[in-house]
Amino acid sequence: MYIEEYLDVFISGLTNGSVYALMAVGLTLVYGVSRAFNFAYGSFYSLGGYFAWVLMVYLGLSGGYLMVLLMAVPFLIGFGYVTEKVIVAPLRKRSDWEVKVMMITLGLALFLDNGYQVLFGPRMKSLPPIMTGAVELGPIYIANQDIMIFVLAISGILAFRWLLNNTRIGMAVRAVAQNPIGAKIVGIPKNRIFAATFGISTVMVGLGGILLAQKYFISPMGGWDILVKSWVITAFGGMGSIRGGLLAAFILGMLEAYVGYVFGMTWVLFALFGVLLATLAIRPQGLMGKWG
Amino acid sequence: MDWKRMSGTMALIYGVMALMPLFVGGTDHLMHILIMCLIWAVVASCWDLIMGFAGIFSFGQVAFFVIGAYASAILALTFGIHPLAAMVLAGVVAAAIGVLVALPCLRLKGAYIALVTFAVHMILEPFLKSDMGRAIGTGGSRGILTIPPMELFGITFGAGDKVAVFYAALVLAVVCSVIIMLVIRSFWGTAFLALKDSAGFAASLGVSAFKYKLAVFALTSFLTGLAGGFYGHYIGMLSTRMLGIDLFVMLMIMLVLGGIGQFPGAILGAIVTVTFNEALAPLGTYRPMVLGALVVVLVLALPDGIIGLLRNLVPGRGAAEPAVAESTAANAGGQG
Amino acid sequence: MLTIADVNAYYDQFHVLHDVSCEVHEGEVVVMLGPNGHGKSTLLKAVCGLLDRVDGTITYKGQDITGWSTEQLVNQGVIYIAENRELFGDMTVMENLKLGAYAKNARKKEKRNLARVFELFPRLAARKKQLAATMSGGEARMLAIARGLMSNADFLCIDEPSLGLQPNLRTEVFNIIKEIHRQGKSMLLVEQNIPQIADLADRVYVLEEGCITFQGSAEEAAADDRLKEIFLGM
Repeated sequence: MYIEEYLDVFISGLTNGSVYALMAVGLTLVYGVSRAFNFAYGSFYSLGGYFAWVLMVYLGLSGGYLMVLLMAVPFLIGFGYVTEKVIVAPLRKRSDWEVKVMMITLGLALFLDNGYQVLFGPRMKSLPPIMTGAVELGPIYIANQDIMIFVLAISGILAFRWLLNNTRIGMAVRAVAQNPIGAKIVGIPKNRIFAATFGISTVMVGLGGILLAQKYFISPMGGWDILVKSWVITAFGGMGSIRGGLLAAFILGMLEAYVGYVFGMTWVLFALFGVLLATLAIRPQGLMGKWG
Repeated sequence: MDWKRMSGTMALIYGVMALMPLFVGGTDHLMHILIMCLIWAVVASCWDLIMGFAGIFSFGQVAFFVIGAYASAILALTFGIHPLAAMVLAGVVAAAIGVLVALPCLRLKGAYIALVTFAVHMILEPFLKSDMGRAIGTGGSRGILTIPPMELFGITFGAGDKVAVFYAALVLAVVCSVIIMLVIRSFWGTAFLALKDSAGFAASLGVSAFKYKLAVFALTSFLTGLAGGFYGHYIGMLSTRMLGIDLFVMLMIMLVLGGIGQFPGAILGAIVTVTFNEALAPLGTYRPMVLGALVVVLVLALPDGIIGLLRNLVPGRGAAEPAVAESTAANAGGQG
Repeated sequence: MLTIADVNAYYDQFHVLHDVSCEVHEGEVVVMLGPNGHGKSTLLKAVCGLLDRVDGTITYKGQDITGWSTEQLVNQGVIYIAENRELFGDMTVMENLKLGAYAKNARKKEKRNLARVFELFPRLAARKKQLAATMSGGEARMLAIARGLMSNADFLCIDEPSLGLQPNLRTEVFNIIKEIHRQGKSMLLVEQNIPQIADLADRVYVLEEGCITFQGSAEEAAADDRLKEIFLGM
């Protein structure tokens, strides 16, 4: 490998890693706060991608990505919120509710994925690049698209961090995660917080879909890969730790880019699985796990 | 459910099944459905044992089924082992892999176990299709096309003689169900329930959670692998399409219909689901979508499956204990 | 102000309270005495909407509040202050206090209440940025009470405020409670054995095995030989 190729791999790992981090943080948010595991997370990724595709390509809406983002955020929050209220919340009081949540979201995933297939057909869709052109720094060549994806993904994470630390609802989310009884005592409506975290996580993964669909494609079953990757990152970085998630996402983004480049894409999944098993065997709480 | 009613229900279900060939023995298509009912009854019961009774959120059941099917086919084809022996060996292979997966898993909690076991499921398809898989005889993406049927006492248990296959499947299902029932019964009220409700309490009783859970993992993988092997020799060909998400969801519907931890509900769930799924065949491409929607509706509508529904309809049998459910839900919402 | 009539309460499947009736008048401090595990905390939890099943009637300011959620009750000015504090350990003192003012009615008065709380607990004012988990037992107890006050409640249900505190800290906590009372709050306070009750309580109930076995003024309680024997070992 030449040095330029290494740099290409590095940049690709960095770009993908930033989006993975955004999505992994969303996944860990819901599990950390409410112990609900969302199997339809990957389908929500595709939802974001298709939503943008419908607006930009199918409807030909002008206004570019800014318009898409302005419309996608409320749509995704609403979708996640309602989903939690309708199918997850009623299960909370039942026996074996954790497994039932996994089952019902798996059912939802099958429904959504095949719904996409019926609506949009099995062929892959792609989104126009958010920005064309490139920056040249001597021998290094960085596509503006990659820079924009990186910037937007990192902004998403920072915005989430800000929300968590500086807003009333963000503090309530942390309160429920840290001490559900304490949260109840001070009058925080736990059920609304659960639904809100579901909505926020849907935005995070949906944005991931919009960002990555420019480089890769949207396909009906494309979300499964994302679900697995978000999982592995979450487990590797540690449930409930944003910093751990970021670190894990960049490490795994690099690993993926490198393994994919050198050995081919089929090996990426094996590599991720190996990392997952090794992590869980050596350090089950992940790199920086907090919420267990 | 006490074990007398458990065995009574089981005897009733399998008894009715055993009589079915008298009515539909001539119709190959219907016999095929009945055979599939029995095979899936084994897999769904195993899943119920591990998840509903031992409380391990294993999502690798279809994976172990496929591992068993491939292992048995490869052993019979490449090594020329008699299919019956190959089936048993395939069960052992599945059990061994099950133990390998269980070792890291059992140190983990809740969704993490689902994560790792489902990852085994997800990784199996690329593995079977890869060069590594081809090297051990999986046939890559083409799959295995010429699996020899089982021959015993001069009878060929292949697609040609469905009634024979049916009774062989019935024997398999009954044996597996009895084993599962004995396991549930022998630990009833002690180990399993304690394990499920409170690990700390179980430990104080001297119940080694790890040992029991490992044993359950091994047993259910073995039986599931066995069923997979049986399936392979019956159908005669295998491909990785079985690892698609819809089959997994089908299995889930079986358990939801049967009721989690409501054995032998899972057997009933398998029979209803397989039959019903055939009825959905005309839906074509809409079928998986309908299956997905069904899961959502059924999980919401049937908290304890068909068995729970029947129990609530028949007065005087006592409903589930809401107080217990409430407190576990509250605990589960707590911090870890 | 608060009337509890024929309340039966259950904890998991256990029937803990049997036909308990008692009341707290406006501006009163009522102390519920009783041995450990006889249902005092359960009574407070029943009032504050923290139990799944409560039979009977609980009225607050003339409204039937039986079966109300904690969230509704906090908004109506009833707050529970837990014996094991239930703080948010990974958050700062300031964040804990802000969350104490989560209820809608408390938000508007957050600034004013914060000033009052810091006046009442100068120790907390000096530790605004400390994480709750790193505080000592006495400070954590004060934070729990302060967080409760942030809800702008008129009625405080305080569960064993002296639990696990050294005598000098106990006195400090009780002095603060007296000061809160003087500022016009009503309280239902659960305690196991306090020499200070006569000084603090307007009236006293005794709860044994889930039933009220004594009621009277603080002086009567202090004079009752049987109670002395049970609670003070005299």
